[in-house]
Amino acid sequence: METNSPKICAAAIAAGLKKAGIDFVATLPDEKMLELIRAVERDSGFKHVPLCREEEGIGICAGAYLAGKHAALIMQNAGFLNSCNALTTTSLQFQIPALLLIYYAGDIGDRGFTTLGSVTEPVLQGMGIRYYILRRREEIDETLCGAQTLADDSKRPVAVLLTRTVLGAA
Amino acid sequence: MMQRYDYLKAIAPDAGDALAVCTGWAAREWWAVRPSDGNLKTRTLGLVSSIAAGLAIALPRRKVIAIDGDGAFLMNLCGLPTIALQNPGNLIHLLFDNEVYEASGGTATASRITDAAALARSAGYKHAFWVLAPEEFRAAFLQAWKQNELTLIAVKVEPGQPKDLPPLKLDEIENKYRFMRHLEASEKKNILNPGFDSKI
Repeated sequence: METNSPKICAAAIAAGLKKAGIDFVATLPDEKMLELIRAVERDSGFKHVPLCREEEGIGICAGAYLAGKHAALIMQNAGFLNSCNALTTTSLQFQIPALLLIYYAGDIGDRGFTTLGSVTEPVLQGMGIRYYILRRREEIDETLCGAQTLADDSKRPVAVLLTRTVLGAA
Repeated sequence: MMQRYDYLKAIAPDAGDALAVCTGWAAREWWAVRPSDGNLKTRTLGLVSSIAAGLAIALPRRKVIAIDGDGAFLMNLCGLPTIALQNPGNLIHLLFDNEVYEASGGTATASRITDAAALARSAGYKHAFWVLAPEEFRAAFLQAWKQNELTLIAVKVEPGQPKDLPPLKLDEIENKYRFMRHLEASEKKNILNPGFDSKI
């Protein structure tokens, strides 16, 4: 049996989100995260909110946080760029945490979105959002739990960049 | 034609313990007619409805009022299908359409020709309609409250507000903490994580 299929990787990440205490997940798909979103959707331990645009997801997650939920947003790095104003004038300005799971399109080995890949980290740095690149399955739990604790303690969004390898993508 | 303030005044006595999310000039008006730590003033143009929806989804038994304007509404059109899909019956979405970006100096929005209630209906809102006067607005608000079904109530208003409104004496951080403490007390649950400090 294949040990690194997208399904197995997705299950490991969803389990990591659970361990991190996440119970509310807003998503907008990238093909590489299809299995992850399906895993979130199937699991009744998560309130799943599918989005039409990532920026509104920042608002929905902020509202959910104020009401006591622990929210994560799953999106591609194009979606992260779509959400920059809301991250600045809602998340950062009001000191509202959020765990951002961002597919790192255009990262080494990912073809087609190299421009997007090249601006992702500089934009995160420019906004002062701390980020961690998740490449290996063994590091899922530690990274997700650590990032969520950091978001909660610092009351800021924290990003985890998901790469092809950790998602088991071809 | 009346101003937004006239309509807010008409429903304030009926807002009970509802949470209210507002922005721009409307915030000062709403605080004047319904002072409460259950009010939240947002800063991102367009996100009033999405933040209110997040609250409504997370607290399905609590009424949540979104006080929206036409400029913000048009900026966040993609938020409408997301809200409609979740269909929070406890969310009452109010739209005050003055056809201008009032807080940014008064240039025109597209709402003069775009029918916002029709947009919300097409997006899947259970109810979305226009009203014409404060009494009708109040009746629609009470109906939405009682029915507990996702509703957008839209009304055309004249720009402007009363001159003598008290200024808001809190910044966004104080607003956030008071709002969360208010929710903790009224929902009887622990929300704020004191973080590492609670362990030492």
